[in-house]
Amino acid sequence: MNPLPALVLLPIMGGGVAWVAGHVRPRVTTTSRDASWWVVLVTLIVETFVLVMATFGHPVHTGPWPGHFSMPWIPAMGIAVRLDMDGLSLSLIWLSLIMCFLCVFLATRQVTVHAGAFRFLFLATLTGIIGTFLATDLFLFFFFWELMLVPMFGLIAAWGHEDRQRAAMKFFMFTQGSGLIMLLSILGLVITHYRQTGVLTFDYFTLAHTPLSPAVSMLLMLGFFIAFAVKLPVVPVHVWLPDAHTQAPTAASVLLAGILLKTGGYGMIRFNIMLFPDAASRFAPIAMGLGVAGIVYGAWLAYAQDDVKRLIAYSSISHMGFVLLGIFTGSRMGMQGAIIQMLAHGLSTAGLFVVAGAIQDRLHTRDMRCIGGLWAAMPRLSGAGLFFAMAALGMPGLGNFTGEFLVLLATWHVSPLPAILAAVGLVLAAIYALRMVNRIFLAAPRTGLQPVPDVASRQMAVFACVMVFLVLLGVYPQPFVTFSAPLPLPVAAMTGPEGATP
Amino acid sequence: MIVHDVFLPAPLLVVSSGIMVMLGATAWRRSVGRSFLCAMGILLLAIMVVGHHAGTVPDHGDSLFVQDRWTAYTAILTMFSTICIMLMSWRDDGIMRADEYALLLMLGTLGALAMVFSANYMPFFVGLEILGVSIMGLVTFGHRAVPGHEAAMKYLILSGVSSAILLFGIGLAYGVTGSLRFMPPIAAGGVSAALPPAATIMILVGMFFKLSAVPFHMWLPDVMEGAPVPVAAFVAVVSKIAIFSPLVRYFGTENQPPFLNDILCGVIILTIMGGNLMALRQADFIRLMAYSSIAHMGYLLIAFMCPGRLQSGAITVYLAAYTASTLGVFAVMDAFATPGGPDGRVIAQWKGVFSSHPFVGAVMSFMLLSLAGIPPGIGFFAKFGIAAVGVAHQRDLLLCFLIIGSIIGLYYYLNIVRTMMVTPSLPSRPLNRHVRPELMALVIVLGMIVVIGGLFPARAIHPLLPAATVPSETRDGITH
Repeated sequence: MNPLPALVLLPIMGGGVAWVAGHVRPRVTTTSRDASWWVVLVTLIVETFVLVMATFGHPVHTGPWPGHFSMPWIPAMGIAVRLDMDGLSLSLIWLSLIMCFLCVFLATRQVTVHAGAFRFLFLATLTGIIGTFLATDLFLFFFFWELMLVPMFGLIAAWGHEDRQRAAMKFFMFTQGSGLIMLLSILGLVITHYRQTGVLTFDYFTLAHTPLSPAVSMLLMLGFFIAFAVKLPVVPVHVWLPDAHTQAPTAASVLLAGILLKTGGYGMIRFNIMLFPDAASRFAPIAMGLGVAGIVYGAWLAYAQDDVKRLIAYSSISHMGFVLLGIFTGSRMGMQGAIIQMLAHGLSTAGLFVVAGAIQDRLHTRDMRCIGGLWAAMPRLSGAGLFFAMAALGMPGLGNFTGEFLVLLATWHVSPLPAILAAVGLVLAAIYALRMVNRIFLAAPRTGLQPVPDVASRQMAVFACVMVFLVLLGVYPQPFVTFSAPLPLPVAAMTGPEGATP
Repeated sequence: MIVHDVFLPAPLLVVSSGIMVMLGATAWRRSVGRSFLCAMGILLLAIMVVGHHAGTVPDHGDSLFVQDRWTAYTAILTMFSTICIMLMSWRDDGIMRADEYALLLMLGTLGALAMVFSANYMPFFVGLEILGVSIMGLVTFGHRAVPGHEAAMKYLILSGVSSAILLFGIGLAYGVTGSLRFMPPIAAGGVSAALPPAATIMILVGMFFKLSAVPFHMWLPDVMEGAPVPVAAFVAVVSKIAIFSPLVRYFGTENQPPFLNDILCGVIILTIMGGNLMALRQADFIRLMAYSSIAHMGYLLIAFMCPGRLQSGAITVYLAAYTASTLGVFAVMDAFATPGGPDGRVIAQWKGVFSSHPFVGAVMSFMLLSLAGIPPGIGFFAKFGIAAVGVAHQRDLLLCFLIIGSIIGLYYYLNIVRTMMVTPSLPSRPLNRHVRPELMALVIVLGMIVVIGGLFPARAIHPLLPAATVPSETRDGITH
């Protein structure tokens, strides 16, 4: 059995069951009152098994990459359900699953209103994200790209915090609008290919060999870049992110910061760099400039925030600047650094959002001016918070350091000035992260704070798993670097685009 | 024309004789239920015989009617929409109190069918007028007498003006070519070269009036607002398909004459921007749907302007998507309305629907998202098709406006979804006791069409693919 379609379809089907289970809940006895939660857990466990199968199985090589699935969908327009998997998509799917387990154990139990619907939307988002990572048909990619927005919109708009609806609208409008520009680019590429060869297809591997004039390829590349830049986000189009991250419920914040942003980085590697290498290298100076601007600007604004979740959101902008910088250095090292940074940032930011969510659940505020002295009250949570803050500031030995170091090194080889400026961002990161730790955990306790329960030790075990991954990424990144490298296209070009490999 | 020359598509025959039967039944004994059932039966029968015809196909091409895949497709869409609208209005106390309602609806459908099948100015114009007159009658049904009458008067006058312009154009065309064949006039010797373009433009203006493209759109929101919900759906769907189908046949699926290009471009841009911008500030749901329908006609005209391999797929899918999603929105609106309670016409009434009526809220947001072009609804593929034909023809300006319009549209559609998600401050009203199972069934069927059409659009476009190429062949057949 081919695991790829199962990977995509399992979450949404499990989500449907969870929704139904959430509905029948009032009628059954109290012992199974969390039926839908169990359904979600079982779905994720089965999904993990399928993923293990996809990782360690030895599939028949029918496509250019290890995993391949193909089924006709709309033959009249050359559209098919094509799913392919290489190391990059595989590692990002692993990241998504870890995030989901984190959410399921630490953040979804707090949802009590329409919990079944919440879990359905949560898993539907996961389907969209995994589909985006796997699709190698451009129409299918766009389909999933849009599909993941709808459930996320629902999650933010219905279960978010006080200003949720505005944030949800902003999120949807920005990402969908930029997605339409990408749609035009996709169609432009397909039509150009059709004009030259007479074949109407949306196949990624076939389209990758479309000969393009420099101007056209630059234009098409920009269309893709805008959509991914909004998602990543890159500085001038980041305005949706602080609101969406701050207002979303904890689980949605984790999904947003942990994986949704990574779809932007994934798209840049997979489409901008690999489809349009020449245009991307010509565009690199501007992209690197935007990356540096994002690093410094995000860090600067993070420093100025009083709201914990807003601070983490701005720190994400700063970290994603490193990803953009690394991707467009044009060197293998920069790309590896960007990928490691994506994985590490996913883990550390998700951890921080869970900690912030736990604080908000207990103290009903996110304002750091009203929080303080949690170290004495909640030692376990504070420890976790401190660890993830250290990871975020780029402490050597943790994953973020590896990513940032590789990116800085690769940037230095290209041009020293951006590297120096980006290093300034690291200093700022240390300042805002330590200031946050100081204000929340170490400052004198505020008067009037009720004594609050600490997180359970079982939940600390979940945190510990994430920490282990971060330490592994920091101490021994080589296997991850090798594993998660995107398979290059030129190899596919030599062996033929349509499964000529024996 | 001699009797043995008569060529009559079967649906026209079935619907018109059915109307006679209904009239006779009404004269014998009035019964709302019977005329409703009678109308449904006639429509189902007409759908079944849509590919048949009476008489012989004239080989010299000089007939009143034409029949091919395109007419079959649009006729089925028209009659299917009428069936849906019948189901919406059945047991609606406000409008089904008299059996003239079903009769008028059938007459309107007959007019629409005549327009769809016409290959000659005569049946086209007669159909247009039948449709217009019955819409005027339908608009006045409903609880709210004064706005209804006002809307009907507005429709009567504006539709009269547009018909006059259209008729003048037809007269000019007849003067130029000496024939009533349904095609743009081509200058023959001895006539001023300015006449054919003038005739074409006047006919186009008349059609744009009915299609409510932007400089000629003023009537649509007022008429839809004044009409009962099912009639508003009829105006938004059936009358639009009925005019779009002959528009495609008239100009064919080849490149339009050059002088029309700029006019069409301007009208499309105005339509997209005007419809979307005016929809932004509406507090009335039906007015919003009216403006959104104007914007959708603008998108559809983009596909009309871009002939080629992808065009027929884009147009057929877009028509189906627009029909299913719009009917879905109106059906849900009808299901939401309670006698004596909120009628769902004001957007603010939808506050908190997700918590009080989760099913209604979910289906409504699904339909709205399909209209906005978000997967997995069929509207996504429809918008994709429009963008594809636009890119294939490098209509860069139109594509820019398509994107801008879509983003604006997304905002007002999402705004309704957002309103439905607001937690109501008041305790939720008791659940709608006035349940109408046929309405729920209709909503579910339309929802299925939207989902399945969105997930497997290949099945929707494949058998209809030659649809729009056939009119061009027919047109060639007529010209030589």
